[in-house]
Amino acid sequence: MAMSRTEAALFEATGPKARRRIMCGTIISIVALIALGVWIVYRFYTKGQLEPQYWYFFSQLNVWEFIGAGLVGTIRAAIGSGIISLIMGLVLMFGRISKIAPVRWLATTIIEFLRGTPTLLFIYFMFLVPAQLGLHISTYWMVVIPTSAYASAVLAEVYRSGVAAVPFGQKEAGLSLGFTRAQNFRYIILPQTMRIVTPALVAQLVVVVKDTTFGYVVTYPELMVNAKVIIANFDSLVPVYLVVSIIYVLVNYAISKCANWLSHRQNVKFGV
Amino acid sequence: MKQLISDYGWQFIASYGVSLRISCIAFVLGLLLGTVLTVGRISPIPPLREAINIYVETFRNIPVLALLVFIVYALPDLGLVIDYEPCVIISLILVSSAFTCDNLRTGINTIDAQQIQAARALGLNFSTIVTSIILPQALSSVIQPMVTLFISVVISSSTGSLVPLAHEELTGLVTEINNKEAMGVVTFFLASILYVLTGLIIAFVGRRLEKRYALWR
Repeated sequence: MAMSRTEAALFEATGPKARRRIMCGTIISIVALIALGVWIVYRFYTKGQLEPQYWYFFSQLNVWEFIGAGLVGTIRAAIGSGIISLIMGLVLMFGRISKIAPVRWLATTIIEFLRGTPTLLFIYFMFLVPAQLGLHISTYWMVVIPTSAYASAVLAEVYRSGVAAVPFGQKEAGLSLGFTRAQNFRYIILPQTMRIVTPALVAQLVVVVKDTTFGYVVTYPELMVNAKVIIANFDSLVPVYLVVSIIYVLVNYAISKCANWLSHRQNVKFGV
Repeated sequence: MKQLISDYGWQFIASYGVSLRISCIAFVLGLLLGTVLTVGRISPIPPLREAINIYVETFRNIPVLALLVFIVYALPDLGLVIDYEPCVIISLILVSSAFTCDNLRTGINTIDAQQIQAARALGLNFSTIVTSIILPQALSSVIQPMVTLFISVVISSSTGSLVPLAHEELTGLVTEINNKEAMGVVTFFLASILYVLTGLIIAFVGRRLEKRYALWR
């Protein structure tokens, strides 16, 4: 990761004494890290977790196909919630900044309510309550509705900060050209807002992907649930959960990097 | 409604207490661990910095549920058996310390590089620079994101419902009530109101703290 100016100032050339201390610290931390690595591998070894019986099935294509299918389930849920929350977030934001007071109050209440409620609680709600009322909902929607509800509320606030970040002169200029308030939004403010909030929208996708893991609760076939099935088939807990966790970290890391790149590119463009 | 309160009123309060206990312990320890890791992350020792970077990227990107499942079900196979509630707390500490690290990094970058150059010109060593120049400014400039983090720790404490805790937290209690009898909407609504109010109170206290301690540059 690139260093900032502040960090760079910390690492300027040091004197001989400090250099010696840094050398010492470097050696100690390398030894400690190696010791940690060895301890972990040893732990795996003594508990028999390195036995081939726990790992051999990763060489089978159909196991990877099944993991891939889980990943597709995760992505399908994430894209569904992503699209819904992009639209619902915009709707809630318009309510939040509405000129009509009751609309504003309603939107604010909805946003605070959805933002403050755990997604997991909402998923249990979707899982248990419609069934009590005799309604049938597919597991896909049991995951997607709560996940997108939370994301919509968060995105509404993201959009709002984006609207606030558009220079006030832009709005005044539009109005003085005779645009109505709606036209002003459509042609002048929203296009600029979208450009400002894009990195934040992408970053929010990480949260959505994380939330889809709650599919585990309702057995929607995503990565965690498929991992459970593989574990049941091959009786191999540690390796499967390890691999699945690494997949999640890699996917989310890629999304965060993408968001960083977008925001960096934007800063360069606007000369910030 | 009346029956709900008379049958489950105390349990609701007790479970809410458990949720708060889990989140407070996790947040405070996460803050401490994150601060210590941040010091390591800006230390002049390259391997330590790299290791902490990997730690932060891992736990920032892992879903809490995946981490909790790993700690609860996979660690015993490696000979580490931990009670359920500590498992939930540990998973939240790991995640919140990574986010603390990230917030503090942003906070540190708002400090003018010249301050550090001046400190070094005065001959201050690394630990003095960190404890008396960097951390006070970094910590007071991240109050807002840390408040947001605290709220999301409270929300994430609901993952405690996935494991059989000795004393159930709020989300777990609600699902248990609903498995026994169809109380439906009301129980969920009550629990959700408690979560929302907690979040609003934390946000309110956070704004007061920020007014008091934030640095205006």
